[in-house]
Amino acid sequence: MNKNRNVGIIGVGQSEYSSHREDVNQPEMIHEAIREALDHAGMTIDDVDCIVHGNMELFEMVHQPDLWHTLGSGAYGKESLRVTTGGTTGATLCCAADQLVASGMHDVVLAVGFEKLQEGHTTGGITNMADPLWARQLQTGALTGMTAEQVINEFGEERAKKASMKYRIIMDQHAMKNHKAHRRFDLQWDQAEDLMYTSPALVGELRMIHMCSQSDGACAMIFASEEKAKQFCPKPAWMKDHITVHREECFHIFGDAPVLMSHRYAAEKLFGRNGIKDPKKEIDVFEMYDPSSWWGLDWLREFLLFEGDEHLKMVENDEICIDGEFPINPSGGVIASNPIGATAMIRVAEAALQIMGDAGDHQVPKTVNQALASGFGGTMWTVLFLMTREIPW
Amino acid sequence: MSTPSPDSFVVEGKLALPYQYFAGRTGSRFLTTLRDEQKIKGLKCKKCNKVFVPPRQTCERCFEDISENWVDVENTGTVTGFTIIRYAEPHQPFKPPYILAQIKLDGADTALTHIVKGVALSKMQTGFKVQAKFAKNTTSSIMDIDHFRPVKPKFELGYSYDELEIGMSASFTKTVSESDVYQFAGISGDFNPMHLNEEFAKMTPFGTRIAHGALPQSLIAPVLGMKLPGLGTVIPEITVRFRKPTYFGDTVTATAEVVEFLEERRWVKLELTWTNQRDELVAEGHAIAIPPTPMD
Repeated sequence: MNKNRNVGIIGVGQSEYSSHREDVNQPEMIHEAIREALDHAGMTIDDVDCIVHGNMELFEMVHQPDLWHTLGSGAYGKESLRVTTGGTTGATLCCAADQLVASGMHDVVLAVGFEKLQEGHTTGGITNMADPLWARQLQTGALTGMTAEQVINEFGEERAKKASMKYRIIMDQHAMKNHKAHRRFDLQWDQAEDLMYTSPALVGELRMIHMCSQSDGACAMIFASEEKAKQFCPKPAWMKDHITVHREECFHIFGDAPVLMSHRYAAEKLFGRNGIKDPKKEIDVFEMYDPSSWWGLDWLREFLLFEGDEHLKMVENDEICIDGEFPINPSGGVIASNPIGATAMIRVAEAALQIMGDAGDHQVPKTVNQALASGFGGTMWTVLFLMTREIPW
Repeated sequence: MSTPSPDSFVVEGKLALPYQYFAGRTGSRFLTTLRDEQKIKGLKCKKCNKVFVPPRQTCERCFEDISENWVDVENTGTVTGFTIIRYAEPHQPFKPPYILAQIKLDGADTALTHIVKGVALSKMQTGFKVQAKFAKNTTSSIMDIDHFRPVKPKFELGYSYDELEIGMSASFTKTVSESDVYQFAGISGDFNPMHLNEEFAKMTPFGTRIAHGALPQSLIAPVLGMKLPGLGTVIPEITVRFRKPTYFGDTVTATAEVVEFLEERRWVKLELTWTNQRDELVAEGHAIAIPPTPMD
């Protein structure tokens, strides 16, 4: 990607993630994240030129929530932009903020994604947006059992289920290190066998334990031009490149399992144009948008451009653990915390924190020179980010 | 559902999207104070001194945390804007029509949205002073203020100088009877036989008894004092020229019309006319009126 100038991530803020945040209303919850991001960057709101705001359309039944949220976002009198691209909203917010700075339009852009899923009706918002029978071509809703079916068909029931549960438990162990994570079960290895058969079934072999949460929470990030980034932050995480891929024809999948190619396509393009030959070796940490442990497992293969069962082996051999060879989601990932409009941004934010060395108890025990983050949503929509410790150009 | 095009149909759909908002710590404190103390509280920014009602945790201009700086505001305030809801939707709090207003409470710097009752829809105006009426039964919600109503003035008043317009007119009509004339003679002390002695009156140019001129003239008093400008008006001057007599049984209409503003003193000049049932001009003249001054 040709950029007019370098863009650094210099501040990250996150609210506590939880199933309920009765203690704060929406602007107050957003303010928690924004306050933390400003403090992290050592800035005041006066240093910010533009606010980019996003969440899922109408999930809280508020039309144009960014206007109400001015109370907590600091957008009063500033340039402002609202983005809503479904599950990828948080990722698209990062793309927008990066481009606003890279283009030279603004020097400092504060992006904030949020969701208060407890206040709305998520499944009503997604699933009911089409007639239940008539011309049903929309694959609506986040509960999809097809990947579990596919993985089981390909690798056999026992191996597939064990790998999926292992992925799940690793994510929970990561979440246990992240005090902001919503679901922290402290799952133990000896529960795996029991859970994979007794956890309530959602769709086919997709069970409750595999699935991501519905969370309340907000994430804020500050993107700055090279000059500003260096002025405020001794160790910015640099946004080197990102790519957005989506397949609208997936709206027409009917009956058969979808062929998810957007992840692989995005990875091929992104790695290709950044000279990454062996992503598994060259990338130090990956914050992946993993809506369920079946998807997390399967998508590893897509993103890392594997064939065969290498992705399963990575899980089976503990390589994806926080101290493993290729750590995935030290934060606990989407399965642990899922305030949807923020979720994809949290991936980017967490990857940035790993580069900056500010991830606290869930910091990976190695220098992170290069990190990946992904967002995912609705129509097989992938956003993939490449961030670096060294300034890109 | 069928459409104008006979071969095309519409698939009907319906979204049911329940939701709730968490009031948060700050909003909840506001609500519990309403519920338990029937008091309206706001949060004040220490930096810019702005008082927010409903309260906010943060001053969005100064970006200061103000969540502990509670202040009391009054139950009275001024309507800064309003709309009249006239169509019915299932999610409305009342059956329309009703008035939804922005009310800046005395002591607050921001407006609170609520319902205004007790005023005709067509008479609703911004600038009205209104007062909170608390609900009899609490719901721990913003509806613990049941509604706002106009603060009623202590006395009713007629049109003020600023409310009057050129061309505004009002009248009063009355049939003048024999007993009116006799009572007026007693009130005024004018026992002129023209008014009281029919045999005497036959010898006058009128050929019969007529009413005192001041009797039909006095019928302008209810117009000026009660209608235009109305209650509270002072009349420093009336001039009148009598054109026709008023016979017993005549029905006289006294009319006043605003014709001029006396800007310097904020008085008005009214043109006066008296007519009878035969559309004859009984009398004409002018009055100067000092309209009532609004009282707060």
